[in-house]
Amino acid sequence: MAQTTQISFTVNGIRHELSVEPRWLLVDVIREQLGLTGTHIGCEHGVCGTCTVMVNGETARSCLMLAVSADGAEILTVEGLAAGEGLHPLQEAFREAQGLQCGFCTPGMLMLAHELLRDNPAPTEQDIREAMAANLCRCTGYQGILQAVALAAGRPATPAGTR
Amino acid sequence: MKPPRFEYFAPRTLDDALALLAARGDRAKVLAGGQSLIPLLNFRLAQPEALIDINRIGGLDQVRTDNGGLAIGALTRLSAAERSETIRQRAPIVVEACHLIGHLPIRHRGTVGGNLAHADPASELPAVMVALEAELVVARGGSTRRVSAEQFFVGPLSTSIESGELLTDVRVPALPPRTGSAFVEMARRAGDFALVGVAALITLDGSGRCGRARITLCGVGPTPIRARAAEEALVGQALAGAVIEEAATRAAAATHPPSDVHGSADFRKRLAGHFTRQAIERAAERARGM
Amino acid sequence: MATVERQWIGKDVPRLEDPKLLAGRATYTDDVRLPGMLHAAVLRSPHPHARIKRIDTSRARALAGVFAVVTGEDAKELTNPLPAFCAEPVVQYALAVDRVRFVGEAVAAVAAVDRYTAEDATALIDVEYEPLPVVTDPFEAMKPTTAKLHDPLPSNLAFEKTLTFGDVAGDFASADRVVRRKLRWHRASAQPLETAGAVCRYDPVSQRMDVWSNTNMINFVGWLIAGTLKVPASKLNIHPMYVGGSFGSKHVLGKVIGIAGMLAKRAGRPVKFMEDRVDNLLASENLACDRFYDAELAVTRDGIFKSIRIHVVDDYGAYFQFGHGTHGNALAQVTGPYRMASFEYTVQCVLTNKCQQGVFRGAGSDAGNFCLERLVDGAAQELGMDPVEIRRRNFIAPDRFPFKTPCGNIYDSGNYPAVLDKALEMADLAGLRRLQADARKQGRYIGVGIATAQQRSVYGPTEFWFWYDSPGLTSAPESVGLSLGPTGEFIVTMFSPFWGNSPETVVAQTLAEEFGIDPAQVTVTYEDSQHGLPGAGPGGSRMTVMLTGAVVGAARKLKDKLAKIAAHHFEAAPEDIVFANGRAAVRGAPDKSLPYNELGLKAYWFKLDLPAGTESGLEARHTYDHPYLTKPSADRKDLGAFYPMMGHGVHVPVVEVEPETGRVRFLRYVAVHDVGTIVNPKSLRGQITGGITQGIGMALYEESAYDGDGQPLTGSFMDYLLPTAMEVPAFEIGHVETPSPFTEYGVKGGGEGGRMIAPAAIASAVEDALAPLGVRVSELPLTPERIVALADAARAR
Repeated sequence: MAQTTQISFTVNGIRHELSVEPRWLLVDVIREQLGLTGTHIGCEHGVCGTCTVMVNGETARSCLMLAVSADGAEILTVEGLAAGEGLHPLQEAFREAQGLQCGFCTPGMLMLAHELLRDNPAPTEQDIREAMAANLCRCTGYQGILQAVALAAGRPATPAGTR
Repeated sequence: MKPPRFEYFAPRTLDDALALLAARGDRAKVLAGGQSLIPLLNFRLAQPEALIDINRIGGLDQVRTDNGGLAIGALTRLSAAERSETIRQRAPIVVEACHLIGHLPIRHRGTVGGNLAHADPASELPAVMVALEAELVVARGGSTRRVSAEQFFVGPLSTSIESGELLTDVRVPALPPRTGSAFVEMARRAGDFALVGVAALITLDGSGRCGRARITLCGVGPTPIRARAAEEALVGQALAGAVIEEAATRAAAATHPPSDVHGSADFRKRLAGHFTRQAIERAAERARGM
Repeated sequence: MATVERQWIGKDVPRLEDPKLLAGRATYTDDVRLPGMLHAAVLRSPHPHARIKRIDTSRARALAGVFAVVTGEDAKELTNPLPAFCAEPVVQYALAVDRVRFVGEAVAAVAAVDRYTAEDATALIDVEYEPLPVVTDPFEAMKPTTAKLHDPLPSNLAFEKTLTFGDVAGDFASADRVVRRKLRWHRASAQPLETAGAVCRYDPVSQRMDVWSNTNMINFVGWLIAGTLKVPASKLNIHPMYVGGSFGSKHVLGKVIGIAGMLAKRAGRPVKFMEDRVDNLLASENLACDRFYDAELAVTRDGIFKSIRIHVVDDYGAYFQFGHGTHGNALAQVTGPYRMASFEYTVQCVLTNKCQQGVFRGAGSDAGNFCLERLVDGAAQELGMDPVEIRRRNFIAPDRFPFKTPCGNIYDSGNYPAVLDKALEMADLAGLRRLQADARKQGRYIGVGIATAQQRSVYGPTEFWFWYDSPGLTSAPESVGLSLGPTGEFIVTMFSPFWGNSPETVVAQTLAEEFGIDPAQVTVTYEDSQHGLPGAGPGGSRMTVMLTGAVVGAARKLKDKLAKIAAHHFEAAPEDIVFANGRAAVRGAPDKSLPYNELGLKAYWFKLDLPAGTESGLEARHTYDHPYLTKPSADRKDLGAFYPMMGHGVHVPVVEVEPETGRVRFLRYVAVHDVGTIVNPKSLRGQITGGITQGIGMALYEESAYDGDGQPLTGSFMDYLLPTAMEVPAFEIGHVETPSPFTEYGVKGGGEGGRMIAPAAIASAVEDALAPLGVRVSELPLTPERIVALADAARAR
């Protein structure tokens, strides 16, 4: 019988109580148990950053975390960025600058950009490039992504449902 | 690429963790930041019977001054170390090296202790700690011991931590006045493991010559390589041209690099010389600026 | 170059695809959840070549949570061999049958309650192998004495052919100089961030198989998948998914679909198999050409290119999935933008113990461009000519289009001097040369590279079979459905999946242009294969042309009907009805107009107001076939037009190279592309920068490497290096538009050009940087070690 552990955490403001196997990766619990499939799996060894979420206000690769490690944590995924029907200003900036093509890396990129702009509201071009280099994109060649973040930096973020 | 099954423990005190480690010995692995361990689990290259998650243990993530030097708790996250004013003032080379480790999301989770205990030969911090002549504090039930960084790293992914022991913190001695430091590396891409990395600490004497030198390389041997012959070429000399060149040559000669798809042993040896020169120059310049 | 002013075509319309993707609400294959669905994992061969003596799955079957375990024996029973786009008898099943031929080949698969358990089970499968001789060098492999990978073939030289066009012998004999280069185009991998996968659900009573997969061609070769799965084609339904990038690697996916399908049949439950990254790196359909070129360019002393002779050995790995279509692809533009009247092309396709090639953006023309442009740079060096001027001298002149190449392919339009001029102006070539000269005085090595190259679009399927004597398929259609509802809302239905290109936006912009509406008002849906019209899907840079053509065709049909209804209403002639600003109006009488919602209402609910013989409703479907595809002649002296929408690009990268460390840094990157009429400039720019970045990967970072024993050396993202944002420059992109005379709106495809041109340009830049040392670049990737070795070798000479 597999050992299971009871954990609880808050995702996008909603509290969950779950029974998980200790070996289950956080990304799998988010996707499978919670049905939040906006966070994607790209490599499962921590290089591509596609699975990036925010844990307790810091970006983290959810394929490199066990779900049990997130017990008691506050997690933000892409589904928690926008409040209601509209898009978050960061998502709007990505749309305007065409910072995406296939969309697979996009949720992870949004998390990186969200953290960057929160901690460094007036980033230089080099700051943006260095921060966004944490995640891989195979479609855009990064130009649209960097432009999107720069565009968003010129706009204040609304506080709705985000941290 | 999913981990195999393991028994999971999340002790809340150091004593509990040490008791578990004593009981399970080599069949247990310690989970700190997980940035090195979890990929190994996902690839099933590591299949521990038990995982001891030490993240719940309080008090292991403190950064304090210690006799003018530093005491860095093993669970200090790399991003916290990178931002720590305390560390920057007393050992800026640690901050400089941390910035080169992976990317920010990795540094948010990865820990100083985890990075050192993992002992990847291409990792930056082990070389930095050897150059700083740091001591690593290792605990076991009922006692602690201190190991010099140089003796701590035994082989690739292998340290002198014994079965039942846990690395709890790192003691960095105070740097002498007029000590400039530099960490330089070359990697295939930004954030990748170093092909070659060099940590250099240069202390100037009253006349502006090199009073003391500490040079350590990573990525060019099974463990960090302290290039003593290179240091000897510098001590007592004015730090210019031929002197630095000689040190660089000696440093390269002291390396035993691996060969892999990113670079052959010969190529890494060559880079070792080049970046030793650069590290010495930069450290000396910073020392002069003090 | 005057461009026509249009309302929506040519504008930066925000993409229709984006809101859903940004919100994380698009359904990719791994997001599919079906009741009772199981998860699969695959056991792969650790040997590059071995006989499978025995497989014992009993321990795996006994594990709690395991529903089915399949091996090659099951593959033989439950499936047919995978589709192969060649005539040679090379048989490949989704699981290895009797024999493994590359490290990573699938040997067994498990379906279990979750992926964790499935992987636990694969570790409990015992396989006994008997190793066989391994061959990894194609030159060794092709020898008649080398052990064969496939018994039915006479040797591992699976195919060879020489095609000659024009008077090659005469052109070479009369040339003043022959420039010869041996070049290496190494193997790389598409590596989209989303791996390949499939969910299969089988109903044994009705024999219906439902497939959710990021496969392409669901309405084109779906029946091939049915053959693989051994279900009647009419009972197969493939559901299109949002795809997280493909770059050519997800055209068929017989392996993942076959594995999921087999397990679904055995388990009696739906089964999902998603490749993990290791699966994708080792054993997918994403590997590109692996070529050894020995090529010669015959030139006059004035630098005129007379002819080119190419001998190429291509290492296909262990199976011949897409055949030598990638050489047909190269033939579309083997003489480049230059006026040569003859060429000879000899290809040898060899099998070795590596994963088989698939196809990756560029599809063989990327390698062809590299070969040609290296020869051109070589000619400039050997003749002491300027590399820019020698190219200009040989360009096909702007008044020579449509241009027929020596092998019969057509270049529809172009203005190569204009593209070059624009690139040089943007780059400020004179300024760059001054910068370079100053740098050299300081002992720094700055290089300016140049590549002027073709980027064909809209493939013709003849490229696969004109190598043989017997004919093959000649269809490459694309369809759309169009409806105008009673509320005046337009719905466009597509029959091919979204790959990360912008098909929804392209159809919306085209429809908006046709009807004078806002593209944001268009709704786009996708249809599955049981309800689908023919569509070959994305690939070969075809979708922009094919979708605009299909939409225009459907719009025409719909407008016909609308015009009749409106004309009847206004007692006017149907040919006098115009469509603009959301209304149908009588030409010259703007007060006599109806908005589309009123026309819609009439058409659906007011039958007695319609002209006699008019059916209720407003729907049109149109299948648009390749607009210019012709058959090869029987003697193959003329291959016909098979890739005539010919774009062009000029890249001017500026690099600094450190010969001591081998590091390469981009100072600038200028690229000017001409892909005909541009539909969405931002979207095109994204395709270009994305393609160039893959080209940077090819030139400096990426290699799918194997050692001499057939063991993969790049089996993770720590070793297969994709460029990050820190490795790429801020691109400077320019455009020229020479519309195609053969397509709607004059559009051409531009999705592949970046990757097709960048490697040649970057090789040129690095070579230029190290010119003082006399370095010649004939091989990629230009890793730091390789550059240091080149510099050392040059200094030693």
